Amino acid sequence: MRTRFGVVGALALTMALALGGCGAAGSDDSADAGGAPVKGGDLTMARSADIIAMDKTTTFDNNSIRVMEQIMEPLFHSSPDGTKLEPWLATGYTISDDQLTYTIPLRQDVTFSDGTPMTAADVKFSLDENTKTGASGWGFVNAAIDSVEATDDHTVTVKLKYPWAPLIADLSIFSNGVIPKDYGGKTAEEFYTAPVGTGPFVWSGWKKGQSLKLTANGKYWQKGKPYLSSVQWNVVPDANTRKLQVQGGQIDIDDTPDWSSLASLKAAGGVKAETYPSTQIDYVAFNQARAPFDDVHVRRAISYAIDRQSLVKAVLFGNGEVANSLLSPGTPYYDAKAGGLMFDVAKAKAELAQSSEPGGFTTTLLIASGNPNQASVAQIMQSELKDIGITMEIKQLDPTANKQARLASDFDMTLSAWTMDIPDPDQWTSFAVDPQGGSKSAFTSYDNPDVIALNAQAQKETDDAKRQALYTQLQQKTSEDAFLAYLYYSPYVYATTDAVQGFQVTPLGGYLLQDVSKKK
Amino acid sequence: MSHRLRFIPGRLVQSIPVAFGVTLIVFLLAHLLPGNAAVALLGERATQESVAALTARLGLDEPLWRQYLLFLGQLVHGDLGTSLTYQLPVTQLVLEAIPVTLSLLLYALVLALAISVPLAALAAFRPGGARDLGVRGFTLLGQGMPQFWVGIMLILLLGVSLRAFPVGGYGDTALEHLYHLFLPAVTLAIAMSPTIIRSLRSSMISVLGSEYVGTAKMKGAAGVQLFRGHVLRNAAIPTVSIVGVNLGYLVGGSLVIERVFALPGLGSLMINSIFARDFPTIQGVTLFVALFVVVVGILTDVVYTLLDPRVDLSRTARA
Repeated sequence: MRTRFGVVGALALTMALALGGCGAAGSDDSADAGGAPVKGGDLTMARSADIIAMDKTTTFDNNSIRVMEQIMEPLFHSSPDGTKLEPWLATGYTISDDQLTYTIPLRQDVTFSDGTPMTAADVKFSLDENTKTGASGWGFVNAAIDSVEATDDHTVTVKLKYPWAPLIADLSIFSNGVIPKDYGGKTAEEFYTAPVGTGPFVWSGWKKGQSLKLTANGKYWQKGKPYLSSVQWNVVPDANTRKLQVQGGQIDIDDTPDWSSLASLKAAGGVKAETYPSTQIDYVAFNQARAPFDDVHVRRAISYAIDRQSLVKAVLFGNGEVANSLLSPGTPYYDAKAGGLMFDVAKAKAELAQSSEPGGFTTTLLIASGNPNQASVAQIMQSELKDIGITMEIKQLDPTANKQARLASDFDMTLSAWTMDIPDPDQWTSFAVDPQGGSKSAFTSYDNPDVIALNAQAQKETDDAKRQALYTQLQQKTSEDAFLAYLYYSPYVYATTDAVQGFQVTPLGGYLLQDVSKKK
Repeated sequence: MSHRLRFIPGRLVQSIPVAFGVTLIVFLLAHLLPGNAAVALLGERATQESVAALTARLGLDEPLWRQYLLFLGQLVHGDLGTSLTYQLPVTQLVLEAIPVTLSLLLYALVLALAISVPLAALAAFRPGGARDLGVRGFTLLGQGMPQFWVGIMLILLLGVSLRAFPVGGYGDTALEHLYHLFLPAVTLAIAMSPTIIRSLRSSMISVLGSEYVGTAKMKGAAGVQLFRGHVLRNAAIPTVSIVGVNLGYLVGGSLVIERVFALPGLGSLMINSIFARDFPTIQGVTLFVALFVVVVGILTDVVYTLLDPRVDLSRTARA
């Protein structure tokens, strides 16, 4: 049996930090920025939509997930830069030589917010609960798990069906968050109306469509945290209203200011507008089940015809980067030299001349109505494709209908984006390149046996360097195939008042509110 | 009930088929929209299996007529169904939202009258004069400005610059509601008052020129006494029906305003449920709005009847 303290070497250091009671690096940042964090205070955040539900195993929307993460915690956690995994409720792990058994010791000082100590039985129950949701929930992330056993009160053994490198990353997802065994004697439905976990905050109340409140967990295992007394999320659908509320000091954080308002927010007194690197990649998806997108030259021609720099300028107002790989820079194993096709009109024309449609053709791009970013991208693309002889009509459907059309692969080309939920590329690559991954390769019908094989190999490879090599190849091959036209990497943006300290967003979109404090 | 108000039960009965017609139209329109609730609920990362499973669990794979009959069956028992997004009774969601919208509308109405009556009087006492021109300028401006824009301007001035009022939200106590609802109510009042001012102004002018006001003046009535006792009451009659019709429109306007000011009323509930394809909630809210418009129509007639003794709607209804 060989011992491992991390997916990558740096884990040992971060673990030592966590064990030493220093917590995540975010807290240290806040201390550096403005002295010791102030205890107390109520934080109010505004965002566009309400949560849907708190059931971590079946709820898919980010607004709900961000709240769950404050209440229920997983065994491992993504590092603040999103590229590593840190022990959280676990203290580390060991892998057996056949790579099929993971032994995970747990922290012994953790209690749920109701005071009962957290044990291995609770962890087993929580992981099994997630696995059971199978196809209708997040259970698929646990597909490689054969069984979970509580070896003793503070050790969990996970047995795998086959070697599976992303396991620790999978255990860091919110849906594997730890809750009391048997829902603490309640039914699942009762439990999730007011969930109990080991997190820094406790469920307080939900005025549907209006606001949601959590209060500090006095029994939180990270001593001295959280700093805030409470956190409230207000539902404010209108972006302009959110912007004005943060300017007026009525809220502390606006969770999605418009890109167009960023400059004026930065100029306003008392408000900070900050961007955080994300794992988001925005792309054009080509439907290969429809001609002429089954022709790689057509796809490459379009990819070459798009001036990504002007998209970053027009859509993100300069805040973001041109995308050059299937993976984003915030995702482990990203390769900056992956060879994504960049703007080159001469090459675009040459590719089109070689294609099945050398004289150009007429096609459509599906976008979501009411989405100003997609509308800008579509208009710019329309004029750029015209330059190489392709007439592109813009087809708008309202968000729900748009989503359904994409799920049904009912489009020629469409705009979409992806963000990661775990710090491992597998979640996205399996969705994007494997037609058996449940989504027909991100609804494009892309099907390249070489790429599928690379993806499967990378899933089983626990050696870091070998895994990097596999993902580099995968990124190169998908760039050549141009099954998506990568557009840009857009960061997350949050506007906060000056009073907010220690607020950090990971590339996975999560934030740790136990590290946040408010200046008096 | 005064015999002149006997028309009310009849009108209420008449509103039942109207309500059913509304439910049928809304049901069909909502289901004709592409996109389904399971997709809206689950989002991008969901697999096709999970979408299919949720569609079945929500009963959205049933034929359309079965879904409608089910809805009607529940409705007869006073049950509007369960919200697909919140998994709560629609009746509960609607009942929570109604006070917000209703207090906003009433507040707006009170403010609109507070703006309109003095301005109309100011204009009517000397038609064509400088004050009259000023008031008419205001009505033109008020009608020309889009509501959401007025709202944003008020927020910028009173909310952000002066920090005198909160930018959106509803508050927790009655006093807070009054405070939070002020800006949205003013916004709606500004949109509503031009029509009221115009109607009041022209009827005041004609009332002021009438013989009975001349008589009252000769008897020594003047100022506030003349205005309240003789001019306003008579001039108000045509305005009442205009206010009634306008309240119906205002419900539409409040959809926009509730979004701008982040108010958890019927408008927000409606918009959210449309985006989420939450059919039971869309139906429930529409039904309530339709009933509201019907009730406002009846109330308008009641006020009309009370103000003008010559009006007897029960008789005209029978004729």
